[in-house]
Amino acid sequence: MTGSAQLPAIVALPFVAAVIALAFGRVVGRRIGVVMPLAAGSCFVLALRLLGAPDGAPAVFHYDWMPALQVGFTLRADGFGSFFALLVSGIGTLVGIYALAYLDDLGGSRLGRFYGALTAFMGAMLGVALADDLIVLFVFWELTSLTSFVLIGFWYEDERARQGAVTALLVTALGGLAMVAGFVIVGQVTGTTSISALATDAHAQRILLRSPLAVPALLLVLLGAFTKSAQVPFHFWLPGAMVAPTPVSTYLHAATMVKAGVFLLGRMLPVFGALWIWGPLVTVVGLATFWLGNYRAFREDDLKGLLAFTTVATLGAATMLYGLGAAELDALQLLSHATYKGALFLVVGIVEHAAHSRDLRVIGGLRTRLPITCAIAVLAGLSMAGIPPLGGFLAKEGAYAALLASPAFGDALGLRVACIAVVVLSNAFLFAATCKLVLGAFFGPHRTAADAHHASHGETPGLWVPPAVLALGALALGLGAIGSATEHLAGMFSSAPGAHPHVALVPTHAGPLLLSLVTIALGAALYAGRARVARLQEAASVWPEAQRIWDGVIAATTAVATRFSERWQNGSLHWYFTAILVFTTGLVFFALEWGGLSLQDATVDLGNLTWYGLALAGLLLATTYAVVRATTRLAAAIGLTAVGFMVALVFVVYRSPDIVLTQILIETVSTIFVLLVLYFMPTFRERRPSVGERTWKAGVSIAVGLSMFVLVVLATGPKFREPKNLGLEYLARSLADAGGSNAVNVIIVDFRAMDTQGEITVLVVVGLCVYGLLRARRRASE
Amino acid sequence: MIDSPVLRTATRFAVPITVVISALIFWQGHNFPGGGFIAGVMAASAGAMYLLAFGLAGAARVQWWRISVLGLLISVSTGTAPFLRGYTFMDHGILDFHLPLLGHQHVPTATFFDLGVYMIVLGTLMTIFVELGLEER
Repeated sequence: MTGSAQLPAIVALPFVAAVIALAFGRVVGRRIGVVMPLAAGSCFVLALRLLGAPDGAPAVFHYDWMPALQVGFTLRADGFGSFFALLVSGIGTLVGIYALAYLDDLGGSRLGRFYGALTAFMGAMLGVALADDLIVLFVFWELTSLTSFVLIGFWYEDERARQGAVTALLVTALGGLAMVAGFVIVGQVTGTTSISALATDAHAQRILLRSPLAVPALLLVLLGAFTKSAQVPFHFWLPGAMVAPTPVSTYLHAATMVKAGVFLLGRMLPVFGALWIWGPLVTVVGLATFWLGNYRAFREDDLKGLLAFTTVATLGAATMLYGLGAAELDALQLLSHATYKGALFLVVGIVEHAAHSRDLRVIGGLRTRLPITCAIAVLAGLSMAGIPPLGGFLAKEGAYAALLASPAFGDALGLRVACIAVVVLSNAFLFAATCKLVLGAFFGPHRTAADAHHASHGETPGLWVPPAVLALGALALGLGAIGSATEHLAGMFSSAPGAHPHVALVPTHAGPLLLSLVTIALGAALYAGRARVARLQEAASVWPEAQRIWDGVIAATTAVATRFSERWQNGSLHWYFTAILVFTTGLVFFALEWGGLSLQDATVDLGNLTWYGLALAGLLLATTYAVVRATTRLAAAIGLTAVGFMVALVFVVYRSPDIVLTQILIETVSTIFVLLVLYFMPTFRERRPSVGERTWKAGVSIAVGLSMFVLVVLATGPKFREPKNLGLEYLARSLADAGGSNAVNVIIVDFRAMDTQGEITVLVVVGLCVYGLLRARRRASE
Repeated sequence: MIDSPVLRTATRFAVPITVVISALIFWQGHNFPGGGFIAGVMAASAGAMYLLAFGLAGAARVQWWRISVLGLLISVSTGTAPFLRGYTFMDHGILDFHLPLLGHQHVPTATFFDLGVYMIVLGTLMTIFVELGLEER
C-alpha cells in the first residue's frame, strides 16, 4: 500500500455514509438525509485539497489487489479525474441539500434506503473518476449501474418506475459487460491495465494499435461508453429513467452518471485515438445523438422529458468532439452542462411540487407564484440556449471553433460543411426547446393542475438555494472568461495533457460568432413557428421508436427463454432423469470416440474369477430384477435398498472400507426418505407404457449400462496403472502434505476442499429450500 | 411414529451408541476409514431412529437448519482463515500442541473443515426428515 491515504478516503467516505443511512434510517426519520450533503461536502473538500499538491504531480494511491493478474487497486487524481470528482461531490452536496427539503417523510426505512443508495452511488462515481486501473474502473462502473437501478426504481409501486429501472439496468449493465471484455483484451495485448500507463507509454500503445484485436477491443469499450452516456441507438433508457425522484434525475441523469461514458471516452482518447475507426465512428454516433436529442426535445411537453432529451443531445456533442480529437475543452463542456442542466432539473422539481404537474399543456405562467425559481430558470435557460455572457455560450463557441478548425476532416470540405450545418440546426432546436421550457412554464397566463391550490410546497430556501448556486455557477463560468480564470480552469482540468485551450468571452474569431448568430436566429424562428414545426415533426415521424425495438427484443428473448424452460424444465422427474442419463452416456461415448480413450488396451481376465464374485453378481442381478418387476412402490424401494447392500458387499470384496460404510449408511437413510414420502407419491405404474415408450426406455437403459461397463473396464485397465497418475500422487502425498493417512478423506477435505465446499453449500441450500417450501405450504393451507 | 415398546427400548440403547460411534468415526477420519460425511450420515440415521420410535415432537424442537448453516460458516471460515493470513484459500495446515491429561495432539486444520461437513450433513438430513414428517397425512 503506497501513496496518499486521502484518495481512498474520498472513495470510502460515501460508502461509510451509506452504511450509516441504511442502519439508522428508520430511527432518525427524514433527517437521515443530512448524510448526503455531509459526505459529499467532505469529499469535495478532500478533493480540493488534493489539487493543492506543491509539486504539481497528481496524487497516487496504490494497493496490490491482484498481483498475479497485474491488477492494482490504483487511484490517481490527475486534472481530469479531480475535475470529475469535484463535479460529483460538489453537485452531490447541492442535490443532498435539495433532497432534504424535497422528499417528505415516507416512514419506515424507506428514506434510509434511498440515502444509502444515493451515497453509495456517489462513492461509486468517485471511484470511476479517480480509478487508474481499467478493472477498478469497471468495478465502480457497475456499482453505479446497480445503485442507479435502485434509485430509478425508488417509486417501485409505479409500474413505469419498475420498467424504467429495469431498462436502464439492462442497457447499462450490458454495455458494462462488453466494456470489461474490451478492457481484458487491452490488458492481455499490452500487459497492463493501468490507465495512466496506457495513455503515456508509447511502447504499449504501439503494441495495442498493431494488434488485430485493437478494433474489437475499441468497439467493446465504446459499447460501454455509449450505453452509459445514452448515445444513439441506446439513448432511449435515459428519458425512461426520468420516473426517478427529481434529485435523482438531477444527480444521476444530468450531472454525473451519464457523463461517465463521456468521461471514459476522454480517458480512452489517448489510448485508442490513433486507431482509424475512432474518428469516424465516435463522430458519427455523437453527431447523430446530438441531432436526435435536440430534435426530440422540442417535441416534448413533459418538462423532465424535454430536459432528458437535451441531455442526450449534449452528451452527443461531447462525444462528437472526442471523435474529432478535440479534447481541450472537454472539462469546460461538462462543467457548463452540469451547472445549467442541474439547475433546470431542480427547478422542474420545484415547479412540479407547486403546480402538481410538469406537463407544459397543463401548467404555465408560474412567474408570479415562483418568482425566485423563475429567475433561476431564466439564468440557467440563457446558458442552455448559449447566450453570452454565460458558460453555455463559451461551450457552444468552443464546439463551433473546434468544428471549424479540426484537422480530422482533412480536405473534405463538403463533409465539414454538412457536419457544421447539422450542428447549427440542432443547436437551433436546443434554443427553441429552451424557449419552450422557460417561456412556457413561467410566462403567459397562470395555469396549474386542478388540484394544485392546496399545494404545501412553496419556495423554501432548501429548495431554491441549490439551483441558484448552480445557475450562478453558470454565470460565473461565463464572466470568468473576461479574465483568464475560466481559461485557466478549462486547461487545468482538461483530459488532454498539457492543454492550453483558448477561452474568451469577447470573440477573437469571426467564424464561431457568426454561427452562433445564425443559431439564435434559426432557433427564434423555430420557436415562433412552433405550431407548424410540431405538425411537421408529427408527419415526419416514420421511424420506429428505439424504445419499441428494445421492448420487442426483450419480449422475444423472454418468449424464447419461456419456451425453452417449459420444454426442458417441465417438472417431470422422469424426464429430468432421462435427460441426465442420456447426456452422461453421450459424454462417455464421445470421450471414447474423440477423447483419446480406447478399449483396445483393456483386458478382461477371466482367470481371476472367484466363486463369491459370481455369487455376488447373481444376487445383484436377482435383486435388480425384483426392483424392475415390483408392483408396489414399497416393494421397489426395498428392492433398491437390497441392490445397494449387494453393491456394498462388492466394495467389501475390494477392501475399501470407506465406501462400504458410506454405501450402507446412504442406503439406510435413503430408504427412510422413501418411506417418508411414499404417502405423497402418485399411483405406481397406473398404466402400461406403449411399445414406443418401452423401446425408448430399454434403449436408454442398455446404453447407460454399456457406458458404465466401459468405464469400469477402462478404470481397471492398464492406462490407469501408469506410474504417473493422479491417484498414486494423492496416495503418496496424503500423509506428508496433509497429515492424514486416509487418502479418501484427505482428498475430500484438503486436496479437493474447494469442490467439497461447493457440494456442501448445495446441500445447505437444498435443506433450506425444503424447509422453506414445506413450511410455506403448510402455512398457506392453515 | 411406530408405537412399539420393543423399538423404543432398542432405540434407547442404539441411539447413544450410534452417536458415540459417529463421533469416533468423525475423529479418526483423517487416518482411518471415516470422516465428516459418513459420520454425519450416521448421526442422522440415529436421529431418524429416534424420530421413528418416539415421534416428531422431540426432534422438531431443534432448529436443524441452523446447525447446517453453522456448519457452512465453520467450513468457510477454515478456508478463509489461511487466506486472511496471506496463504491461499483453503490452504490447510497441521496443528501440533500439548494438552494436559490428553497429551500430544496432532490436529490437521482440515478437521475443522470436516466438522463443518459433519454438521451440514446432519443438519440438512434432519431438516428434511422433520419437515417431511410434519407434512399432513
